[in-house]
Amino acid sequence: MSLFEKFETAKLLKSGLATAGADPTGVVFDTLNSPTEGVVDGRAIILAGTNNYLGLTFNPECIAAGVAALESQGTGTTGSRMANGSYASHGKLEEELADFFQWPHAMVFSTGYAANLGVLTALLGKEDVVLLDSDAHASLYDGCNMSGADIFRFKHNDLQSLERRLTRLKDRANRCLIVIEGMYSVLGDCAPLAEIVALKNRFGAKLLVDEAHSLGVYGEQGRGVAEAQGVLDQVDFIVGTFSKSLGAMGGFCASRHDVLSLFRYVSRPFMFTASPSPAVMATTREALKQLRTRPELRASVWANARQLYGGLKALGLELGPEVGPVVAVRSKDRQTALANWNQLLESGVYVNMMLPPATPGGGSFLRCSISAAHSAGQIQTIIEKFSKL
Amino acid sequence: MKLSTKKVAGELATILAEYLKKGWVDTPASKQAITPETNMVSNLQMDSFQVMEFMLEVEDHYDVAIDLESLSNIQTILDLAGVVIAAHSE
Repeated sequence: MSLFEKFETAKLLKSGLATAGADPTGVVFDTLNSPTEGVVDGRAIILAGTNNYLGLTFNPECIAAGVAALESQGTGTTGSRMANGSYASHGKLEEELADFFQWPHAMVFSTGYAANLGVLTALLGKEDVVLLDSDAHASLYDGCNMSGADIFRFKHNDLQSLERRLTRLKDRANRCLIVIEGMYSVLGDCAPLAEIVALKNRFGAKLLVDEAHSLGVYGEQGRGVAEAQGVLDQVDFIVGTFSKSLGAMGGFCASRHDVLSLFRYVSRPFMFTASPSPAVMATTREALKQLRTRPELRASVWANARQLYGGLKALGLELGPEVGPVVAVRSKDRQTALANWNQLLESGVYVNMMLPPATPGGGSFLRCSISAAHSAGQIQTIIEKFSKL
Repeated sequence: MKLSTKKVAGELATILAEYLKKGWVDTPASKQAITPETNMVSNLQMDSFQVMEFMLEVEDHYDVAIDLESLSNIQTILDLAGVVIAAHSE
């Protein structure tokens, strides 16, 4: 087998996707007119698959902050914080994130993916154990794999499955990190965090929660599912991203443990990556400020989520288990999903297509993500387009 | 109690057949008879995720912990039987 032969599988996948019309992995937006409107192949499109939960990508204050940072500090940092030093805005954002979670420490990474790699490889070593939810994001799998720890999966959101695995660990349980997400990104279902916290306390394990898709949307202050379920003070590490509700790019970890302040000396994905640019730090800081001071954004996301979920449910479609900012519509098979995704795009609605193997239960889904910036009329249009499939 | 490879491989073939009946792996290949020599990927066309999901069933059936890294060494039912027996003896 030659070096390149392994790409035959990818070639087959690519050609299979293209036969149904547009390639869902290769959509190009000619222009973006707002957080919810774009143009694809000259057609006006409603954006219903961008994870732009708070709709802040075109927020005037965020843009002004980014422009000011560009003009005053330049386009990039041209290196890592370990080698080139930090900009004041890196430290400011870390202070603001720590304050947001009311914890002593936060650390900024260049992407959400890098945050998960950076935190898991710093925290875990060969003698340690991870219990990983089976539906966890690829970045969590990759970080666990890179760490060298023993990895055992438990069934998605299944407390009995988690408890059995904690029991099997015996005295290794106190070297165990449970890794889960607050809200899972494909189906939009939330972890039973209060119960998971009770288990981790009983067995003396630690808990990391990825709030990438729940930050800004769940919890009274927008801190995520852990806050919404009243157990934030018992979670050990929160990781998340700036690229969804904060409309920028980058990732973070926050913790109530002092050990997080030492991660920057041992975390290779942090040490050997260029730090986030000044403009990214500026727009993220402004977006975080808006997240904290404009609860009406959360109210809008939830109103839109209820409208979309209710409307699609009334059509008799099979949806994810709970109302939330992600609404997943199950297709009967892969080909139907591909055909329906193309029809939606042609009729002016962009959603995400989720195909196995990277999906729960091996299903095929059309995944919508809701924004505070969607109008009621846009949500109604999305429902109407689904009704014609 | 010490497990025998032959016995465990036979049980695993039955567990896998039941698992496949649930419809998670719906290919013509997945409907063929399962023997200890059956390769889950090349014979049954299970993808990596489906194999991982099946492992969760196996772990609970035998009450053993199978590390994700072990997955790369498992292709046939016999391979899996060896991993189960090793995990059971720990």
